[in-house]
Amino acid sequence: MATDTEVDLTPRLKTDEMLINMGPQHPATHGVLRLILTLDGEIVRHTEPILGHLHRAQEWQGQNRTWFQYQALIDRVDYLSGMFTSWAMARAAEVVDGCEVPERAEYLRVMVSEMNRITSHLLWLGTYLIDLGAMFGFPFYPFREREKLLELFEEIAGQRMMFNYIRIGGVMRNPKDAWLSKLKKFTEEFPDRVDEYEAIVTENPIFLKRTKGIGILRKELGMDYGITGPSIRASGVNIDLRRTKPYSVYPKLKFDVPVNDRDGDTFDRYIFRIREMRQSNEIIKQCLDMLPQGEISGKKQIAGLRVKAGEGFAAVESPRGTLGCYIISNGSDRAYRIKWRNPSFCNLSILPELLKNHPIADVMAIFGSIDVILPDVDR
Amino acid sequence: MSETPAAKPPEEPKGPGLCGQFLKDHGIATNRLPDSCGVETIEIDGAHLEAAMKLLRGSSEIKLDYLVAVSGVDSADTFDSVYQLWSYTNNNELIIKVRVKKTDVVEGQLPLVPSLSRFWSAANWHERETYDLVGIRYYGHPYLRRILNVWDWDGHPLRRDYKQLVDSLNDKAPGSFR
Repeated sequence: MATDTEVDLTPRLKTDEMLINMGPQHPATHGVLRLILTLDGEIVRHTEPILGHLHRAQEWQGQNRTWFQYQALIDRVDYLSGMFTSWAMARAAEVVDGCEVPERAEYLRVMVSEMNRITSHLLWLGTYLIDLGAMFGFPFYPFREREKLLELFEEIAGQRMMFNYIRIGGVMRNPKDAWLSKLKKFTEEFPDRVDEYEAIVTENPIFLKRTKGIGILRKELGMDYGITGPSIRASGVNIDLRRTKPYSVYPKLKFDVPVNDRDGDTFDRYIFRIREMRQSNEIIKQCLDMLPQGEISGKKQIAGLRVKAGEGFAAVESPRGTLGCYIISNGSDRAYRIKWRNPSFCNLSILPELLKNHPIADVMAIFGSIDVILPDVDR
Repeated sequence: MSETPAAKPPEEPKGPGLCGQFLKDHGIATNRLPDSCGVETIEIDGAHLEAAMKLLRGSSEIKLDYLVAVSGVDSADTFDSVYQLWSYTNNNELIIKVRVKKTDVVEGQLPLVPSLSRFWSAANWHERETYDLVGIRYYGHPYLRRILNVWDWDGHPLRRDYKQLVDSLNDKAPGSFR
């Protein structure tokens, strides 16, 4: 006969699944995202993301604004990496139009884009630590470096975040020598700063406990969902458009694309972003050395800017993955159809799979690790 | 915004490209369209779409296993569902278009295109978005619901004939969608 201590009580306890609403106004969702979680105790069984709280009809506006007006608008698609959205549309318009981009402009584009990649990853790093509960002031370390880059952006584009710097056919403004030397100084000290972040975070036992072994993204699953960017490279898929579909002057530059050799977890996605920042810094250094003289735009930047009739798709490697733009032009001053392929939108669609069977406390740790920007999801 | 894309200059007839030939070998007829910026573009009948996608994704030589985007286009006399296919392992690229003639669409109903989301998870949200914005109904989709607009939005904003009710966002307006 069983003693009292051996009696298993669990079958007699009636448990029920519970629906919990998270968001839309949640501090850790980086924008406005609503998740409907089905919980079994503390374990997430099912997730339904509700999007569209930040929908600004960017594609509709593309059809109803002239190219020149729309260029100023598209930085808002992904406000943390505006250079890339501008670049994706500029590239798509250039392949359709067939216009040449001067080499100096290409170098400047690579330079400002890699700076933008660093600022985007730095902001992610700071806020991700907040998502994990590190409210003690760590975010100020990456924001310190981000601030320096934003000042450089302000100097060259007049804006800290909505740059409108990369234009169809080239770039908007030539940097001054003082600007270049400030950037050079930044690239020299930046690796030490990354060492600082790593000293605080990478071997931090609390951080490791929160991130190691959770939210494992299987390679095949990621490919099925069309995941791109550091999230899939941390799971061992070598897709980086800068290397796999080279564009601009990337073939001339020396840099590594860090790729994992196993299915990555949340920690891997962190460490691969850190490595990417170091590589971006190397790219900026090389661009500074190789920057040629010459024109900066192959197309006249006038209000009546037109793109020749045709259709085409072009993509760039944004900090979040493949950022594509599909353009159908009929030769008028505005697009006939413009369609965005946003990395955040596609990467977010895997969230229900990643959250399955994780405790609710890990929801923000996993969601933060795939680095989704909600304006980029909702457009 | 009633103007349509300018007529393309007539181009010389050419044989099927790499992927078109591959599909032809497996008994699926395709119609080659003018390349869009150097990328092979084919038109395919909706009924064969899923079989063709399975072949293209599964074959070891083509291996188009990366569905980049699904776009809907309201063209002059057709509704197009455009699929951008890339590969994670090689450099192949393909654009597939499924066209539904506007004259074939039953009055008051949406154009029908088969859904890919049953065997390709990436297609799920792209098709929901295209349904929401362009109004193409993907049959066989497990959860075809508006994704960017609110659930009770009226109409499909990227249609050429879409008219937004004036002041439709104002709750007090009589024509408000709420």
